[in-house]
Amino acid sequence: MLALGLLVLLSALPASADPMLVAHPAVDTHEVSLNTTRLIFSMQLGQWPDGTPVRVFVLADDSQVHRAFSKDLLSLYPRQLRRVWDRQLYSGTGQAPETVADEGEMRSKVGSTPGAIGYLSSETIDDTVQVLTIR
Amino acid sequence: MIRFKFSQSADSGTAWRMRHFAALLILVASSCVDAVDFGTDLQVHGFASQGFVKTSDNSFFGDSESGSFDFTELGVNASYKATPSVLLSGQLLSRNAGDMYNGSLTVDYALVDWNLSNSHERSYGVLVGRIKNTLGLYNDTRDVAFTRPSIFLPQQVYFDSVRNLFLSADGMHLYGRFYSDLGQLAMNVGVGTNPVDDNVEISYLGTDFGGRLDSQGAAFIARAEYETLDGRWRLGLSAAKASLAFDAAPTDPIGSGDIDFVYWVASAQYNAERWSLTAEYMQEPVEFQAFGPLVDGRDSTVLGYYLQASYLVRSDVELIARYAEGYADKDDRDGTRQSAMTGGLVPPYAFYRKDWMLGLRWDVTPNFMLRAEYQWNDGTWTLSRRENPDPAATVKDWDMFSLLASYRF
Repeated sequence: MLALGLLVLLSALPASADPMLVAHPAVDTHEVSLNTTRLIFSMQLGQWPDGTPVRVFVLADDSQVHRAFSKDLLSLYPRQLRRVWDRQLYSGTGQAPETVADEGEMRSKVGSTPGAIGYLSSETIDDTVQVLTIR
Repeated sequence: MIRFKFSQSADSGTAWRMRHFAALLILVASSCVDAVDFGTDLQVHGFASQGFVKTSDNSFFGDSESGSFDFTELGVNASYKATPSVLLSGQLLSRNAGDMYNGSLTVDYALVDWNLSNSHERSYGVLVGRIKNTLGLYNDTRDVAFTRPSIFLPQQVYFDSVRNLFLSADGMHLYGRFYSDLGQLAMNVGVGTNPVDDNVEISYLGTDFGGRLDSQGAAFIARAEYETLDGRWRLGLSAAKASLAFDAAPTDPIGSGDIDFVYWVASAQYNAERWSLTAEYMQEPVEFQAFGPLVDGRDSTVLGYYLQASYLVRSDVELIARYAEGYADKDDRDGTRQSAMTGGLVPPYAFYRKDWMLGLRWDVTPNFMLRAEYQWNDGTWTLSRRENPDPAATVKDWDMFSLLASYRF
């Protein structure tokens, strides 16, 4: 009875966010440094080494997965990313990343847009996207 | 304390329409619009903010003693990535700010950003067009409420009464960003001409004379900013140099002459997860030349600085506190000498301002924000002469309460 109760309780908890960096399958880079990843998500590095334009996809600032990605993978607070995007966007010196509605849209956009990069929690990753390693 | 007495102020029709339009836009937009995205090469974004200001005395952004809604900011921008290294962008801005700005549409910026080299080690390029001046932490996006730390920027460093003097310039910038394990260094230098308006003339010459005050020659702008890789520390130094020429009309009591400005700001910010500390220090040497002895003796060095702390109570609620002070002349901080030069017509407290501010920001959604702030002021320096035409009628100690709703997409 207790075990069943625990099981119900556990399954009701939201899945822990452990986002991983993902890219379009044709992106010819499989490993990126932390600094390069930060530059890409700060919208300051526009091209992959082979010249393909980078397309950055993110979830909303208040999404759990975005926060975990920002803090745990980039070691940046979401509002620092927002500050950098806003300054570029509203002074005309850069563009904002594309915000997607949820992880499903993230997966389909990253999987179908050449040069795309984004992040997904591990259980939502399938073979339509490739996982990039941060070194 | 502020007495809440609302009277129907005699707004101009434009201002009235602007604020209702803004309220409507915020309402409609917050319920349905999302950033417009055509593929990812073309982006359209914008913002709409509506403020309310109530002061115990003096006027700030309209007839604030009666409660003023004359503070509306509307902007829409588009950017197009023509090639991976060429970005075209522009922003239209309508700003209603009391008697200072009537909400007419202006081109805030319109530029081509040509990136010549972009790698994980460096990026450099050139901007051509109307470019926002890179001054301090906030000037480049000063009209976008989401990017400001408070409803109003600290007036002692970011004057609203003469915002136009150093807002933007038509010309060219060279920029470079250098990345290493030690952090990021971003630098740019620019040259151009700065558009000025009547607010500048009124502030520096005391009134809107028959003659014209125009920018003269080139203005120069430069900024260097260092940021640690984790974004915790930001340090910056920025400066601008500009010159204005006054061409007196025959009826003017003063002759023609030039005003030279140098404006520089040192900035420092520390960001932790929940709190952040910011300080900026500004000096602006102003030189009057060839006007004749009456005006030329008004050379001074303007000084302003502030210290600001913010704390995230929840991920969507932020508290902010700030102390700011500023002086029309750093060598006459109590204003007595400057007051004496006007024969006592302008009181000493019109030459300095010290204030404390406490505020609250609530991000209702990532794209919709509400703010409330209270400010205690000593001195009336930086208040617009347009809104407070008789300096002797201003009140030295005054309070301000303000509210702001802002939406962006």
